[in-house]
Amino acid sequence: MTKPIKHIVIVGGGSAGWLTAAILAAEYQTNDYGLTITLIESPDIASVGVGEGTWPSMRSTLKKIGISETTFLSHCDASFKQGSKFVNWQKPNSQYYHPFTLPINYQEFNLAPHWLKFKEQVSFANAVSFQAQLCERGLAPKQISTAEYSFNANYGYHLDASKFAQLLQQHSTTKLGVVHILDQVQQVHNADNGDIASLSTKHNGIISGDLFIDCTGSAALLIGQHYQIKLREQSQSLANNSALALHLPYPEANSPIASQTTAIAQDNGWIWDIGLQSRRGVGYVYASAYCTDEQAEQTLRTYIEPSIGNQAAASAELRKLSFTPGYREKFWHKNCVAIGMSAGFIEPLEASALALIELSAKMVAEQLPANRTMMDIIAQRFNDKFSERWLQIIDFLKLHYVLSERTDSQYWRDHQQLEHCSKSLQQALALWRYQSPYHYDITQTESLFPSASFQYILYGMGFLSEPQHTPRNNQHISAQQLFKENQQRCQQLTSVLTDNRTLLNKIRQFGLPPI
Amino acid sequence: MATNELVNNIAHQHLKVITERSAQYGDNVWYTATFPDEFRSIQGYYPIFFTKDPDTGKFFSAALFGFEQGDNLFLTDNHWDAGYIPLTIQRQPFSIGQQTINDGGTSVEQRVLHIDIDNPRVNTDHGQALFLEYGGNSEYLERMADMLEIIHHGLLDNDTFIEQLISLALLEPFTLDVQLNNGTQHQMIGFYTINEDNLYDLPAETIATLHQQGYLAAIYMTIASQSCIRDLMNRKNSKLGI
Repeated sequence: MTKPIKHIVIVGGGSAGWLTAAILAAEYQTNDYGLTITLIESPDIASVGVGEGTWPSMRSTLKKIGISETTFLSHCDASFKQGSKFVNWQKPNSQYYHPFTLPINYQEFNLAPHWLKFKEQVSFANAVSFQAQLCERGLAPKQISTAEYSFNANYGYHLDASKFAQLLQQHSTTKLGVVHILDQVQQVHNADNGDIASLSTKHNGIISGDLFIDCTGSAALLIGQHYQIKLREQSQSLANNSALALHLPYPEANSPIASQTTAIAQDNGWIWDIGLQSRRGVGYVYASAYCTDEQAEQTLRTYIEPSIGNQAAASAELRKLSFTPGYREKFWHKNCVAIGMSAGFIEPLEASALALIELSAKMVAEQLPANRTMMDIIAQRFNDKFSERWLQIIDFLKLHYVLSERTDSQYWRDHQQLEHCSKSLQQALALWRYQSPYHYDITQTESLFPSASFQYILYGMGFLSEPQHTPRNNQHISAQQLFKENQQRCQQLTSVLTDNRTLLNKIRQFGLPPI
Repeated sequence: MATNELVNNIAHQHLKVITERSAQYGDNVWYTATFPDEFRSIQGYYPIFFTKDPDTGKFFSAALFGFEQGDNLFLTDNHWDAGYIPLTIQRQPFSIGQQTINDGGTSVEQRVLHIDIDNPRVNTDHGQALFLEYGGNSEYLERMADMLEIIHHGLLDNDTFIEQLISLALLEPFTLDVQLNNGTQHQMIGFYTINEDNLYDLPAETIATLHQQGYLAAIYMTIASQSCIRDLMNRKNSKLGI
């Protein structure tokens, strides 16, 4: 039982497998640890290629893996994502932003109560942050002279998931020493203690390992099929379980590239619209309990019509995806960890899929058990932590729906029912009637969403927190100064930043400076 | 806007170039590009820093003349008050252009001399003539052509130099805080200098390589040039009469 962990076997390529491999291998590459990482990928299974939006955390992840940002942007057809724009969620003809930049001076001062007085003149996001305005103008979050992974305005990425997996594969195998086996896993062999001892492959015989990572997507070959760990279904709270997706060409080679993910609410779900360098990615996420695939298809085709014309919109090829919203009862069982869709999947409303992969792989890398005895303790901690994180994601996504005032379809009426929210969300909503979310609302050390994210959603959706006590006068003065400072910062940035297309073209030509 | 033309003894036969130094001829700049081979001449007069070209994000080496845009503290009534004027200043109004020529059926890129005929130095009455009476190059024009060759190779070498500095973690951002005698402060951001701690930690083999490349001397001359900041401040104080 004190046998050291020497060989990690990852099953499944795709972004989950390769991102996990790269994060693990980067942690130990310069270490004299004697750790081997093998990734087995089936040549017959195409990866789903969803998850085209990232959080800002991807910048530090890529930096740590050792991929240059210039290479990443060009190779993955990637562009900058500065947040999300929600259209028609509160009611028809409404919109708001959830930007990645925190409200100005957020650590020290909560501007939310002070914004109430000005709510008729300025949206919350525009009052406390400059980023929504950068997005509205289609501006990039940095300049050509800004070092790789540094920024003027916080950002993540939009990327081509299959190109991303390719780049990670190339980097992991050539620079980080990951062993790549293209083969089919045919059988899983148990050890006496119930651990996975080895896998039989079609052409490479038996591959044994100390820790197995299941990145096989919704097939969940190890955690699901082998160990029968159940999924905690979340359809009650978040009903979306289907998606239709397609790639849209830009009308011209130099068409503008959007700075944010746009999520446009529809009768029975929402449409995502993201801009890469060479194309857009568009899709409709919907709930099959409320609409048929044909109805959904019609909604999506109607949406793309203005972009590509009636004929092209009618004949465009759509890709259908189905999923069960939910997450495993356990992610780490015996010597097997599930990362990616095998661990769980939920509608991509806040692009949590890649972020969860980064976080899971990071915890495995940093907490890698020294030996088998330690593994059970770490597995328990991992399971506690990620169950908590899934709850946070579900509460946060649910917040986008429960605040809606739309009554135009059964889908929206049902989604506003408080009884389908978790107890924790119900309590928080009751409290937020009188006080805005702030530092006390975040009890975990590594919370997925800062309390500012809750502010952006609540006040973007027209929710009001009306305090019962009047703050001291001098606080109003500080607030005024901060509102003004934010405006100045906004003016300054809009005058120096160029649009995304111009910057991305320059990066292709000159590269970003490394420092 | 510049209008660059290929220098030729037909269109430009009667052109002259004013070589006086003055703001009206565009010398009121606060820094100019330089390169390692020139550092020896530069470092006695001007602080050398590294900064990024805002249009390309690429680093270049800069000799500093002042503390804010348009402020050249070496410029005094039609005179440049220093024993050496950087080549990228002296070269005005000439620059290097590329021309594709047909060399026995294959096209070859060739460097050619351009002149900006909109530059205020360019006229037909005053200054140095480009061509001799019967069309031959003047000594002045020959000298400028040689100078541009030196600049061309110097700037290419500077790219290698800076790549080397970055890969050895020898560049660090640096904020220049200047306080004048009357208490006014200038804060200059966006400049980089040599990270001396990292320099002193370099292994002997790396130092030897830098020495062979000629970059070790350039690094130390950059460090030494910082003493010129004091001179710049004195010039600024006396210009303001404080």
